[in-house]
Amino acid sequence: MKAWKYTGIILVAYSLYAGLMLDVPRLVILNETIRNLYFHVPMWFTMIVLLLNSVILSIRFLQSGQDGLKVNLIFDLKAKNFAEVAMMFSLLGLFTGMVWAKATWGTFWTADPKLNGTAVTLLIYTAYFILRNSIEDIEKKARISSIYNVFAFVLMIVFIGILPRMTESLHPGNGGNPGFSNYDLDSGMRMIFYPAIIGWILVGFWISSLRNRIEILKNKK
Amino acid sequence: MIRVKAIKTIFSWDWELDYRRSSGWFVSVLFCAIVTFLASILTNRPSPNTWLALIWMNLIFSSIQIAGRTFFQEDGKYFYIDQLVNSTELLIGKSITTSLSTLFISILSFGLFYLWIGLPNSEENLTSLIPLTLSIGLGSIAMSCTLCFTSAISSKVNGNAGLMSILSIPLLLPTLLVSLRASKLALIGESIKEIYPLWFGEIALCALSLALGAILFPYLWRS
Repeated sequence: MKAWKYTGIILVAYSLYAGLMLDVPRLVILNETIRNLYFHVPMWFTMIVLLLNSVILSIRFLQSGQDGLKVNLIFDLKAKNFAEVAMMFSLLGLFTGMVWAKATWGTFWTADPKLNGTAVTLLIYTAYFILRNSIEDIEKKARISSIYNVFAFVLMIVFIGILPRMTESLHPGNGGNPGFSNYDLDSGMRMIFYPAIIGWILVGFWISSLRNRIEILKNKK
Repeated sequence: MIRVKAIKTIFSWDWELDYRRSSGWFVSVLFCAIVTFLASILTNRPSPNTWLALIWMNLIFSSIQIAGRTFFQEDGKYFYIDQLVNSTELLIGKSITTSLSTLFISILSFGLFYLWIGLPNSEENLTSLIPLTLSIGLGSIAMSCTLCFTSAISSKVNGNAGLMSILSIPLLLPTLLVSLRASKLALIGESIKEIYPLWFGEIALCALSLALGAILFPYLWRS
C-alpha cells in the first residue's frame, strides 16, 4: 500500500474525530451543525476533482486513437469509474447538505442555485451512464461517451459558474450571505477543514483505483 | 482549416433538401403551433412568469424536435459527405441550418403566443417587443448550437427522441437561464442597458458550444 493511501486514511480519521469531538465556535442558528462543514463541503471538492480527472482520462482516450495507433480502452474504463465514484460523493454531499438544510433553513430542499447545480450534475452524469449502456460496440461506446463527457463537463462548469449570479440564494457565499471563510471559519476550524478535504480526495482516488483494478481484472477473464 | 465554400455547400444542400421534402419543416411548424394552441387553451391570462415558462418550454421542445432530424437524414451518405467537406465544416454548416430553422420557429412561436395568448402586461408591450424578440431569437440560436452537437451524438447511437432529450436538456440549462433572464427583463420593460450584457452572454454560450463541438466533432465523425 502506498503512502498516499495511508495519508488519506489518517486525514479522514483525524477529521472524523476532530470534527465531532473538538470545540467549534457557537453561532446563532448554526449552533453545533457547523460541524457538518467538515463532512459536507469536502464531498463537493472531491466530486469536482474526480470529475476533472474523469474528463482528463476521456481526453487521453480520444488522443490515444490518433496517428493510426490502437485506442486505449483502459482510459475510458477509468474515466467511467471516476465518474461513478464522483456521483457517489455527489449523493453523499447532497444528503449531508439536505440534513444541514433541514436544521438551519427548516426544509430539506429549496430552489437554491447550489442544489439545482447538484441536480443538474446528477442528471448529466446519469445521461452519460445511460448513453454508455445504450451502445453495444465497446470501442464505439468508449469514443462516443468520452466525447459526451468532455462536452458535458465544460457546460456543467459554465452552469455552476453562471447560476449563482442569476438567482438569489440562502447558501453561504451567495447573494449577500457571507461565505464561512470570511470570519466564521477561525483558524481552529481551518486546521480540520483543509485536512478533511485532502483526506477525502485521496480516499476518493483510492476507491476509484480499486474499482479500476476490479474491472480490468474482470475484462481480462 | 475551414472553407467558407464548403460550409455554403452543406448549408444550401440541407436547406434545399429540407424544403423539397417539406414533411420535415412542416412537422416542426405544426408541432410548434399545436403546442402553442394547447398552452393558449390551458391557461387564462397567465402572469409574466407563467408566460415565459410556457414560451420557453415550447421553444425547448420545438428546437429539440428540429435538431433531432439534423443528422438523421444522412443515413447512407457518410462517404459522399466525407469527400465533399471535412468534419468541422459539416458541423458548422449543420449548425447554421439548425439555427436558422430554430430562429424561424421561435419567431413563429412568439407570433402565435402574441396572437393567441397575448403579452401578459398589455399596456407597455410595444416598447418591449423588439428586445423581447431579440432575447428569444438569440436564445434559440444558442440552444440550437448545443442541440446540433447532441443530435450528432444521438444519431450515432441510433437513439430515439427520449435519448436526445435526456442528453441535451441538462446541457441546455445555462443557455436557458441566461435567455430566461434576458426575456424577463425585456418583458417587464427594462432599458436596453440592463439587458445587453445578457445578449452577449447568449452569444458567448453559442460560441462556446460551437467551439467545443468543432473540437470534438472530428472524433465523432471519424467512424
